[in-house]
Amino acid sequence: MEQIDNPGRERILSRIRSALTKPAPQHAAMQAAQIFAPVFDPLARFQKECTDNVAECILTPDSDATAENLRSLLQRIPSGEVYVQDAPVLRRIAEKSISGRPIRWSSEGPPNEASQATITLAESLVASTGSVLVASCDGGRAASVIAPVHIVVAGQDQLEPDLDAALTHARERGLAARNSFLCLITGSSRTADIEKILVLGAHGPRRLVVLLAQHLD
Amino acid sequence: MSTAAREFLLAASNSATLTPRETIRRSIEHYEAAAQRGRSRFLDWEGARRKCSEIKWEALNHLDKYLLEFEQRVKARGGHVFWAETAEDARRYVADLAMQRGVKTVVKSKSMVAEEIHLTPALEKQGMRVFETDLGEFIVQLRDEPPYHIVTPAMHLTRADIAKLFTEKLADFMTPDATVKDDPAQLVAAARRALRRAFVSAEMGITGANFLVADCGMVAITTNEGNDRLGTALPRVHVAIAGIEKVVPRLENLGTLWPVLATAGTGQQITCYNTLIGGPRAANEVDGPEEFHVVLLDNGRSELLADPEQREVLQCIRCGACLNACPVFRTVGGHAYGTTYSGPIGSVLTPHLRGLNEFQHLSYASSLCGACTSVCPVKIDLHHHLLQNRRNAVHSADRPWLERAAFKLWRWNMMGSHRFATAGWLGRNALSVLYALGLGGSALDPLRPWTKYRAAPAIPKKSFRASWRKRGAD
Repeated sequence: MEQIDNPGRERILSRIRSALTKPAPQHAAMQAAQIFAPVFDPLARFQKECTDNVAECILTPDSDATAENLRSLLQRIPSGEVYVQDAPVLRRIAEKSISGRPIRWSSEGPPNEASQATITLAESLVASTGSVLVASCDGGRAASVIAPVHIVVAGQDQLEPDLDAALTHARERGLAARNSFLCLITGSSRTADIEKILVLGAHGPRRLVVLLAQHLD
Repeated sequence: MSTAAREFLLAASNSATLTPRETIRRSIEHYEAAAQRGRSRFLDWEGARRKCSEIKWEALNHLDKYLLEFEQRVKARGGHVFWAETAEDARRYVADLAMQRGVKTVVKSKSMVAEEIHLTPALEKQGMRVFETDLGEFIVQLRDEPPYHIVTPAMHLTRADIAKLFTEKLADFMTPDATVKDDPAQLVAAARRALRRAFVSAEMGITGANFLVADCGMVAITTNEGNDRLGTALPRVHVAIAGIEKVVPRLENLGTLWPVLATAGTGQQITCYNTLIGGPRAANEVDGPEEFHVVLLDNGRSELLADPEQREVLQCIRCGACLNACPVFRTVGGHAYGTTYSGPIGSVLTPHLRGLNEFQHLSYASSLCGACTSVCPVKIDLHHHLLQNRRNAVHSADRPWLERAAFKLWRWNMMGSHRFATAGWLGRNALSVLYALGLGGSALDPLRPWTKYRAAPAIPKKSFRASWRKRGAD
């Protein structure tokens, strides 16, 4: 794109710099507080938080059992295309679980608006909030929001005790540097804009399902 | 009195007829219960508030450094950053961009900054269709109204009001055979159907930003509905608009800021979608816009930064907690203020953004009870800033000459003990005579503004000093 003419930039910066020459009172240095209670059992906590967030968490021993669960989940979802992140582990699982309906792989492009469900991996799971961290590399931006059902395939080794740990770990792995998009998803799309009454499925999924395998291989 | 002040007084006195207080009360009671539960989930809520305040304070006191770091990283990913000095600069940039890109339809996520700069009318003037996609914002847009509340724009409406509105304006999207016409789930479904069409056809998505993360060059957007998600995934241009004060130093800061924003805003532990976006779709990515623009808005903020006493006002994360806590907001409602930002934060901020002379009256739209300060998640000393604005207004803005003269006389009187004693003697005796004549409460009674609604206090026979001397003698 053409270079933007932006004379305001220097003027704003110089106003900021001259404003900051006037010292403002400093906050008294405080002891770093323990803000959140520590999480002792990440798995149990994750399950509890999912329940509270009206998200579904299904524990499975391995990827075969995940495939079995996925098959029965899909049986109860109206016929039509599902969108799947093109990853080796999901290829293997899809082979055993998805039949009788078209699959669109993320390698073929973004999901169709009419997808019945999307199936993706996640970068990590946050126990303290029952959240799923996804990035562009997990099937893209729309994959986790466009369909009525979003199914996340994950392994227990992806559990982080809390948000601080998840964000620190994300930085260490260069997640923000490698992806133009990250999203911490907690439960399904919802609104309470009408008389504070909770309604699920505002713009995005009505259901968020996490298939959580003890060992995902 | 300024025009804005007259309008505020009129709207405030009519507020009970404009909006049923019952609707507001129910909504705020619901919020309070949820927020209390939310705070109890923290081991140390006070510690969390302190930490958030420290994060924002650090960012503000090195604002140039963090903004430049943010800009450099966004540009490195192929995004664009535009620095807008005024609302007009920001509007023109977005409107010109939309024109150049042949945009016909815009999907907008909730953004108070977009409200502040009146972006939607500017785009509509260019012939574009602009859809508010947050449900509450969509509802008030259909009613051609500004949002009632920072977080809950349609707080003043009942489901019956919304059902009536949708039946008129969204007939094509309502389920014809719905038995319960005002069922919130049916209403949400109708809005979803209407807005999906907009999402799929829009060429431009506009969002605000809750935070700008300097060290990874990403904008953080928080929604429950996921409308920001669709608006930043499907259209080919994404524009994020944010005040310059939104920057925070590090990605890890969000580990506290996200839960605190959610708890203070709605009582949730964390909001459903906390999205981070750092650029347009990269070459190896599946989807996302071709262009990513960030508009950084000053519009008076750098002047507030230059006021060391009130610099911390820029820490605000727009959670709306002070509105919910404020007895004035609860009584007069959001629309009476006639400003983009209402409630205590609006009363503090608006004189800085739009002029102390025109908006000084908002400093008095407070009982100074301090409820706002006690709930602020970033510990802004809101009610003291209202006092400071009052003081500044007395020094610099227009005040009636009678008020100035009265305070001069009062001050002179207070400065000498004999003058003070004489004035007290005069006051006691004059009032006693007045009341003895049965003129209490009449136009001659100087205490009438007080006694109009309250019983007149008994007038003491002796001054305090005389009583004190007598007590010493005993």
